[in-house]
Amino acid sequence: MRLLDRYEEIVGHQEVERLRRLAERLAGKRIVHVNSTRSGGGVAEILGWMVPLMEELGINARWEVITAPSDFYRVTKAFHNGLQGLPVSLRKSDFDLHYEVNRENAQRLNLEADIVFVHDPQPIYLPQFTPAGQVGRWIWRCHIDASRPNRTVWKYLEKAVAHYSGAIFSMAAFARPLACPMFVIPPSIDPLSDKNCSIPEAERLETLASLGIDPERPLLLQVSRFDRFKDPLGVIEAYRLLKPYYPAVQLALAGGSADDDPEGAEVLHDVLEQAGNDADLKVLMLPPDSHRTINALQRSATVVLQKSLKEGFGLTVTEALWKGKPVIGGACGGITLQVHDYHTGFLVYSPAGAAYRIRYLLRYVDKRQRMGQVGREFVREHFLLTRNLRDYLAMLLCLDHPDSETLVV
Amino acid sequence: METTEPFCVMDCSLIRCATGRAVFNLRELLEAVRTVSDAVLEHHMLRCALENHFELYEFPNDLARWCWTALGDNVLGEQLGVVDPYQQPSTSALRAALANVVEDRLWGLERPPWCRPGLELHLIESRLIAYDTGERIGTPAALLEAVERMSLRSVYFHVHEARRRTAGHTDDFSLWLETSGMEASLVTALREIDFYFLNLSQLRQALSEAFRHYVEGAPAVARSTP
Repeated sequence: MRLLDRYEEIVGHQEVERLRRLAERLAGKRIVHVNSTRSGGGVAEILGWMVPLMEELGINARWEVITAPSDFYRVTKAFHNGLQGLPVSLRKSDFDLHYEVNRENAQRLNLEADIVFVHDPQPIYLPQFTPAGQVGRWIWRCHIDASRPNRTVWKYLEKAVAHYSGAIFSMAAFARPLACPMFVIPPSIDPLSDKNCSIPEAERLETLASLGIDPERPLLLQVSRFDRFKDPLGVIEAYRLLKPYYPAVQLALAGGSADDDPEGAEVLHDVLEQAGNDADLKVLMLPPDSHRTINALQRSATVVLQKSLKEGFGLTVTEALWKGKPVIGGACGGITLQVHDYHTGFLVYSPAGAAYRIRYLLRYVDKRQRMGQVGREFVREHFLLTRNLRDYLAMLLCLDHPDSETLVV
Repeated sequence: METTEPFCVMDCSLIRCATGRAVFNLRELLEAVRTVSDAVLEHHMLRCALENHFELYEFPNDLARWCWTALGDNVLGEQLGVVDPYQQPSTSALRAALANVVEDRLWGLERPPWCRPGLELHLIESRLIAYDTGERIGTPAALLEAVERMSLRSVYFHVHEARRRTAGHTDDFSLWLETSGMEASLVTALREIDFYFLNLSQLRQALSEAFRHYVEGAPAVARSTP
């Protein structure tokens, strides 16, 4: 079975037909995606499905990966933090290294194409070193919230963006004024991936048993790394406020190990201290490839929380909604685009608010189920990868026809 | 009834562009209304109908909603909610009407209200991508059946977007019926629908009711499909 046929079963014929119509207009285009890694991380995950789907639609798509010494990634990690507004310490030699690595990769990579998508800041200076005429259009895909960046980092990157015909941000709120068009393309989830596909009931129950979670009792779940901005302590506070009313309720906080993150280790320590010896409160440190475990947990949850104080797009919210779960989310970042009061869950502003909304959802089973259904359909319409791909294709058509306010395909 | 061309069912989606500009308070909203491009105004006043995912919005445009929910200015929310862009002869007239309402409100306030961080209005513009679904309709009865199962995006394209295409005069359904020589009562009924006030789901319902009312009362010959 072809890949598109498998997605058609989930998103419907009309959505796949839209993709085909758009792709017909782009048939034969040579598209190259460039990023910094073939595996690991959200961008590699996206390109892992986007490139094959583009190819299946008749577009000549390729994926190139830059190579660089390990010090380069220390610099680009600082760029990443700087784009998010964190203070960073960078020397001139760091910028020189970044610049030089881009020069070397521009010579090494095969970038001959009609459109080259450059993902994130790592390969952002490639256009500077690519011979004129080799690439039709350069598009910068910024997967990071760049709305309030570190000035030094931004000034350096902004110079590179001057060579691009367009930029893509995940939300309008993440964009900064640029000279080129700035398209807004929200991220998406893959409904066929291990993290989101349907799983056998036996596997779900086995997972819960292995984690010491009772499948017969209500389960509250937050999936996120141990980070102050994710407010795990606020989630525990909400759980404690709720417990007298619903003694059977369980809470699972599932995140990655914090071995390489000193601040994360500190937060984890505080979380474990707060959790104490409460047998109904599980703090789960899962390896990065625990996609099916996360999937089973999300499917087993009664209510999913994402009580962040600061958030990017919040794809864990998308994943939970896709599994038919109402989400109680902090009113920040992309959570506000996904969680709509009384429709897909509730936005909350405090642990007390979270506890109050959980009580509501535990009390009104029918409303909880209804919100779960609405949330799943909402994700089907807006946040599956077919919509993401459609936006990319539509954007390319718009660049080809800059003066047509409406395009008929 | 004789039809020359069947009705071609279209579907649409938006591609959005950020401007990098956000509005935090009422004074900035006034400045934005005066200075943003036509495409930004049109997105927040017209195309935002396509983004009403849950039919939960009380007001038909982003500006009214933002004033009501983010600024907490219910008076201005109400006033902007009744500005009907389809009644304005041009985008510049729409701009003037909006600026007048906002300025009038601002005039009477000692301090302009601010939104709390995170609730700012990010100004965007959009372009519409229209898709031919391949579906063709030959009769009013068949159109009734099609409207009832039509996607909300198609409803938007054939009513809201059609009004833009025809400078506010008509929707695609009534235009096709009129061109096909259909009875004027159905054409009139469709054109009398207060479409800007309704969300897309309610609009589909109103269209269906107008068609049903006609088809159920019409002679059998009008109901037959070719």
